Amino acid sequence: MMSAPALRRFTFAYATAFAVIFVVVRAYGLALFTVYPAQGVVLMGTHRSRDVVAPAMGFLAPEMFFYGWVAYAAIGALVVAMVAALLPDRWFPLWRWCVWAVPATAMIACVYLTLPWFRL
Amino acid sequence: MMTALLILHGFVAVALMGAITHQALAVCASSDARAPSFFRRFRAVPAAAFANAVIALYLLSALLGAIAYLSFKTDIQPFLERNRHWHALGFFDLKEDFIAIGLGILPAYWLCWRQSLPDHGGQARVALTVILAFIVWWSFLAGHVINNIRGFES
Repeated sequence: MMSAPALRRFTFAYATAFAVIFVVVRAYGLALFTVYPAQGVVLMGTHRSRDVVAPAMGFLAPEMFFYGWVAYAAIGALVVAMVAALLPDRWFPLWRWCVWAVPATAMIACVYLTLPWFRL
Repeated sequence: MMTALLILHGFVAVALMGAITHQALAVCASSDARAPSFFRRFRAVPAAAFANAVIALYLLSALLGAIAYLSFKTDIQPFLERNRHWHALGFFDLKEDFIAIGLGILPAYWLCWRQSLPDHGGQARVALTVILAFIVWWSFLAGHVINNIRGFES
């Protein structure tokens, strides 16, 4: 059982790290696993349809990275949060702001990453 | 089957939207329950009592959405791309990103609303609640627009 300050460091670090890691893996397309829903296949790592079949045939095997991005962010944030829970409170002077400012900034970054849809 | 799942997803989303909207308005501008206007009474709820319900509904809604997303990718997205609904796809892409970030802030949101830890940042509590409310509203509207474009069983 964690103490109250350790639990606070854990949850606040988790929120902050999750947002940062999610944006990074989203920006660089790093999925822990790739889902091919039409085929019911899951492959570890990032696999793009166009890399394994002809680009014009890619629509037959749409790939999904979202679950892999979330898994990466969840596992990465868990590691960061566990480390943060062990560190002293004085190392986190800005936690009150980071816990909401970083996710809010990450959301703005996601808007930037989505802009290509709006330029088509 | 997928239509039933989507309707259930919609029900859960409506409940979640109601709970988080009550809570967000109450935390931003609390009011007296005996106030004369509807809007003031709407804000006069015990906001802390909504936290666990919001978390449970958020997780359930995300789970149902994640299941429905498989069908979206194979059946709906190709249709939207063929018909050049790029903006709708962009809004939906943002929805999935925002929901993921919302999943990450749920533990901190839960902690901020714990009665036994009232000193852990009123500012963080307000900000996280408002962010979650924004995510829920955005997700509901984006999903609603996508659903309206394609329609059930069409």
